[in-house]
Amino acid sequence: MDLQNQQRILDAAQKYGAENVIVLLGSADAEGAGLYAETVTAGDPTYAGPLAGVSLGLPVYHVFDEVIKAEADKGAWEEQISMMEMVLDTQKLAGSVADMRDQHSKSKL
Amino acid sequence: MGKLSGKKLILLGERDGVASPAMEACFAGSGAEVVFSATACFV
Repeated sequence: MDLQNQQRILDAAQKYGAENVIVLLGSADAEGAGLYAETVTAGDPTYAGPLAGVSLGLPVYHVFDEVIKAEADKGAWEEQISMMEMVLDTQKLAGSVADMRDQHSKSKL
Repeated sequence: MGKLSGKKLILLGERDGVASPAMEACFAGSGAEVVFSATACFV
């Protein structure tokens, strides 16, 4: 994750409180989704950015997680996301993020 | 009231997956506020 985004996430977590923030990912590959999820929960695994050594423990979900999909506007989902839902491995993506969430998130939905 | 109501959303989209504006459109009526939104591009 680039350094500016890490800083913005750190700022938001500090401003609003980690328990009030939810991170949603739209990654196309499970490995990338897992790295993003690790960064916002356990800290930056590359030790390059502002989140290095900072375990925010934010609740993080892939947008394809059923819990999140259930909260989406049905019409907008159909129009904006359903196409990618058909071509991507949604279970693998949601599962990769869930693994990190289960290990490192301090709160969940 | 939905589970996202009152929450602050950080949206990290990806151009080859689901971009952030698409997520914003889907959760605009959820009662949550988008506080940061970015779309990565790895091309």
